[in-house]
Amino acid sequence: MNCKKVQRWLPLMAGSDLSASKAQAVQAHLAECPECQREYDAFILSLEKMKEWLETERKDWDETEWQQAVQKAAGEKTPALSPLAPWPFKKGWAYAMMGVLVVALTMIFVIRPFHVEEGTALDSEIFARTQAQLIGSAFEESKQEVVRMTMVLPETGQKIIWFFDKNFELEDKE
Amino acid sequence: MWMKNDDDLVGEVLKGDQSSFDLLLRPHRQGLINMAYRMTGNFEEAKEICQESLIKIYKYLYRFEKGRSFKSWIYKITMNSTYDFLRKKKKAGDIIESQKRYTLSVSPNPEKQFLNKEIGSKIESCLRNLSPKEKTVFILRDGDGFSVEETSRILKCSSLSVRTHLSRARKKIRIQFEKANLGFKKEVKSEL
Repeated sequence: MNCKKVQRWLPLMAGSDLSASKAQAVQAHLAECPECQREYDAFILSLEKMKEWLETERKDWDETEWQQAVQKAAGEKTPALSPLAPWPFKKGWAYAMMGVLVVALTMIFVIRPFHVEEGTALDSEIFARTQAQLIGSAFEESKQEVVRMTMVLPETGQKIIWFFDKNFELEDKE
Repeated sequence: MWMKNDDDLVGEVLKGDQSSFDLLLRPHRQGLINMAYRMTGNFEEAKEICQESLIKIYKYLYRFEKGRSFKSWIYKITMNSTYDFLRKKKKAGDIIESQKRYTLSVSPNPEKQFLNKEIGSKIESCLRNLSPKEKTVFILRDGDGFSVEETSRILKCSSLSVRTHLSRARKKIRIQFEKANLGFKKEVKSEL
């Protein structure tokens, strides 16, 4: 590990914010490099002094002022849970709900007509099938009882008509 | 004695027990005011910001997710209030330096007091040289003792971004310390 890389990590190393493996590598380098060690000590010292100063400069509320601030905050508005707000409220939830609503509406207004068409097609199929069955049964039911056969002679124009019953037996009608 | 945790106290406040609100925030009152104070450099402004954030905390308490860190949540609110305040202040064209920034603690020894004041003003200038983000990260991590992960949650940014800003802030402070000749050089050399 070179000095440039180590010096880039020194500010984080000074505050123990470096990962264990990196810290170990830096520590190994510092043991061998007095220049980087000096730099590291400077970081440690500046950080310590800064923390020390921040600690000595700590301010606090006056008790009466604090009480007043809390009372003022608590008196502003009751944090009653809105019936419209889900618990716990999250922006993501609102977006998710909107998404679901959009999908539902799309299904109702766009996809539904296809279903209706599909339904219609199905209905028509059933209708057609039913019709066919009806026609078939009609055919079955309307089997002719009598079949007429006509023969016309081309030379004389004479017509000979035969009448047969359903068993194809000749009936004498004419 | 059984101590109520933050989630219990939040529940009690939501049920209408206002005294629990004080109990909930009392452990953090010093931390919150100091964070606002370090960001603005004016104690009166810091109190104003904290008042604003207390109102927001109470108003939006029902949004707090149980099981999460209450401390991080209130720091996030206070940090946002501080940014809002500073933005408004900048908009209003209030560029007048705060009358007395970082008033130093009173020491009975006048000589020590003078030294403290001198060192304090130099250290204060170190903080002033940081960008708002660097200052915020530095205050949260090195001033208030939040971890890098907690800081990233408060500021809604990645841990990598926090580490980058923290590194820059510490580097700037270290350079400022050297420039201001705050005596650390001698100490370092004497140690070596």
